[in-house]
Amino acid sequence: MSLELVLIAAFGGALLTYLLGKISHSVRDFFAVIVSLALVAIVACLYGRPVEETFYFGFFDLGLVLRLNMLSWFFAVAISTLGALSIIFSLSYMRGRERTDFYYLMMLLVNAAMLGVVLAGDLVCFYIFWEIMSWSAFLLISYNKGPALSAAMKYIIMSVIGSVCFLVGMLSLYASFDTLNISQVASAITSASSAHILFILAAFGIAFGIKNAILPFHTWLPDAHSEAPASFSAVLSGILIKMGTYGFLLLLYVIMGLRVFLSLGHGLFSFHYILCLLGAVTIIIPTFIAMLQTDAKRLLAWSTVGQAGYIILGIAFGTNLALAGGIFHFFNHALFKALLFFTVGAVEFRTGTRDLDSLGGLAKKMPVLFIGTLAGICALIGIPLTSGFVSKWLIYKTLILEGSPFLAFFALVGTWGTVLYSYKLIHNIFLGQLPEKYKYIQKSPLSMQLPVVVLSFAILLFGILPGIPLKVIDAIGISFGFEPLNISLWGIASETGTLNTINIFSALLVAAILVWVVFRLGAKSALVPQQDSYAAGAHTPADKYHYTVEFYNPLHRMIKPFLKDVVDEFYSWTACSVQRLSNSVRRVYVGDVGYYVMYIVLFLAFLILVQLKFKPW
Amino acid sequence: MVTKVMQIILCPLLSLVVGVFFLGLARKIMARIHWRYGPPLIQPVIDMLRLFYQKSVSHGHMFDLGIVLSLAGSIVVVLFLPFGRICPLAGSGGLLVILYVMLFAPLGIALSGGQGANPNISIGISRKLILTLGYEVPLLLVLLAVMTHYKTISIAEIVSIQQSTGWSINSWPLLLSGLSYFLIMPAILGIRPFDVSSAPQEISSGPMVEYGGKYLALATIEHAFVLFISIALFVNLFLGGAANPIVFFVKMLAVFVLGVCVNAVFPRFRIEQAVKYLWKWPTLLAFVGLVIASAIRS
Repeated sequence: MSLELVLIAAFGGALLTYLLGKISHSVRDFFAVIVSLALVAIVACLYGRPVEETFYFGFFDLGLVLRLNMLSWFFAVAISTLGALSIIFSLSYMRGRERTDFYYLMMLLVNAAMLGVVLAGDLVCFYIFWEIMSWSAFLLISYNKGPALSAAMKYIIMSVIGSVCFLVGMLSLYASFDTLNISQVASAITSASSAHILFILAAFGIAFGIKNAILPFHTWLPDAHSEAPASFSAVLSGILIKMGTYGFLLLLYVIMGLRVFLSLGHGLFSFHYILCLLGAVTIIIPTFIAMLQTDAKRLLAWSTVGQAGYIILGIAFGTNLALAGGIFHFFNHALFKALLFFTVGAVEFRTGTRDLDSLGGLAKKMPVLFIGTLAGICALIGIPLTSGFVSKWLIYKTLILEGSPFLAFFALVGTWGTVLYSYKLIHNIFLGQLPEKYKYIQKSPLSMQLPVVVLSFAILLFGILPGIPLKVIDAIGISFGFEPLNISLWGIASETGTLNTINIFSALLVAAILVWVVFRLGAKSALVPQQDSYAAGAHTPADKYHYTVEFYNPLHRMIKPFLKDVVDEFYSWTACSVQRLSNSVRRVYVGDVGYYVMYIVLFLAFLILVQLKFKPW
Repeated sequence: MVTKVMQIILCPLLSLVVGVFFLGLARKIMARIHWRYGPPLIQPVIDMLRLFYQKSVSHGHMFDLGIVLSLAGSIVVVLFLPFGRICPLAGSGGLLVILYVMLFAPLGIALSGGQGANPNISIGISRKLILTLGYEVPLLLVLLAVMTHYKTISIAEIVSIQQSTGWSINSWPLLLSGLSYFLIMPAILGIRPFDVSSAPQEISSGPMVEYGGKYLALATIEHAFVLFISIALFVNLFLGGAANPIVFFVKMLAVFVLGVCVNAVFPRFRIEQAVKYLWKWPTLLAFVGLVIASAIRS
């Protein structure tokens, strides 16, 4: 099957969905699900068939090329799967909202554009799809109006800055190598000077860094993620920002190649070490900020920034284990972060709020969502038997054994910070006391539970049998010129430390069954309501007995002074100054012709004065 | 195969016996320091048996499941720790896995307690997690120093290297790390002066407040395991492990008695004081240790 067909199906499906929406909403919903599922099937069928084809020659003599390899296939699978799940989730989440035709069009368009980005075989193609993706994401983020508008504005301004940098890098490549085909650029770039390479790295690095929300380019992300509709937040956090990761992989390993990128600079001042440090800082600071959030989606958004740091750290470190860890963590993050955004969105759908201070006790009312969230936070923390553990293990192990204990320290401390905010999330929403107003709340609809169940299952499956995705990731590593890893279905063998998840799984299973049996053997326990043993039988007045507000209060007081978002303040200050400057310029450009004539006359008078006085002409 | 199965069964049982013995011993030593006679050594066993047959209350499935998971996690950690030379799951992941499986215990209790819906529990858990963040900073530095020094992430290998080249606290960087580990051990165990999360006088024992009967029995067993794990980790990483279980036990006993004597005379920290302390001296020591270790390596 040719690759144009995939893109035609994706873009055509999006358009057709929009048109069908004008006829009937249920037909449109059905068709949107069919399109997104069909894309999953088509992409899955393309496994292991590398293709490179030129589909259009007319663009300034530059062929527009599509190509498929292991790397783009892996990303395409993640994109189409998450796309399909988020469409299914939208079915009930968006029911009864206004402008749903437009919403579905944009969702499918983002999906199609991301597929285009990973399938692009030359930079022009890449850039076109990249822009379609950025702009349709802008329209989706601003869907809710109100504060969403300014969040979207922040996003698109930074996005445009990134695009401009991308364009500059692209033009510079074209000027020196006369081609923009990725594989041709890759073979030509070995002759470039290191200053030129550094310039290109910086230009593209800013573009991808903004999309990937690395510090200090992260400021758009928390607002955009929390204000977008939850179904899109899942896509945004799960996969759209990972287009930056894809860009980095393309830039560092495909275009530059491993040897070039590791040989830039020396010691602590080498490019790869600086990128690693950025990754480490990106892990640590947002993790601590996430602890202080009270909005569930904002908490998850900051956590996304932090987790993106692990991915960058893994990719930038440049060994086969670290790279495998980085790419695997991208995949896991897509799974668990989408899952968490889905559950939070489903809770918001029923309760109308995502305020962590006012929820509680929903585990009994929404057990499926509770289990989904539990699986999600376990993977987020990296508890063994979830897929998140394996990817983090890979990253830590290589950092420690390759002699970078301080980077490993940042990564590990970030994990323990993750424990804190993850527990806050699940505790404040699902555990504890059920507020009176949610006593008769309904279960979440089936179409919301389905994606949650699928993703939870995937997390456990890839946690116990990590060999399935690692096999593909290993193929990617080999195509970048790394040694193959020694992977079995349930882990990684090597002489410096083996991981065997099936052993851990069986040990834990047996131990849990054993303890459970002992537990059952003991005297029976009576199921009692919450306030049964509160005041030793005395009357307790009805009130909120759920400790949620400022859950980590002592820590708040300690760390809050250190966590001012200086970068965001700087950007806002810049924006304000530019606005002031524009305002003062407007006093000159008043729009009245008379003034302009006066400026011309004054300027002429000035020239004449100069000529009379100094006679330069 | 048969020896492996025997080890898998024997390891948790042995560590349970040791842990429970330490619980009894701790009460005895504390009592003697306070000029009391103290309960008999097997008092924890008597308590547990009695609790096991007493009625209790439950607050739902997660309430039950959390404590089960927590205890199961601790049992699995024991399988990864060399007890003398016995280490059934040595080849399945090493120190990093231990570090992560150790998370099961606090998280299980936290989930179970959260379902209990008592503000005392939530406050206790909040403090416990903050304290965890507090001691993980030096602990991670310590573990990284050890792993960097021996260039391996396998704890069995760390022990076997020490068996041939001598205890690791004989070398400078790891002496600092070991000292730091010893300083934070009470925080890991949640005993005085770091018993903020289970402070009986302030928050009615925190996470334990809704537990009764068999829940309390399991929580006590859990505590015994945690006691065993943190001391065994110290002995394995810094005191050279041991060639046989008896020597290992003697080393553990020495560390434990020393630890109890220190913590018996301290009053309780407030949570901020605890975190500030943990992030000051132990972290500094561990940091210097890691810097030296990585400098020597490169």
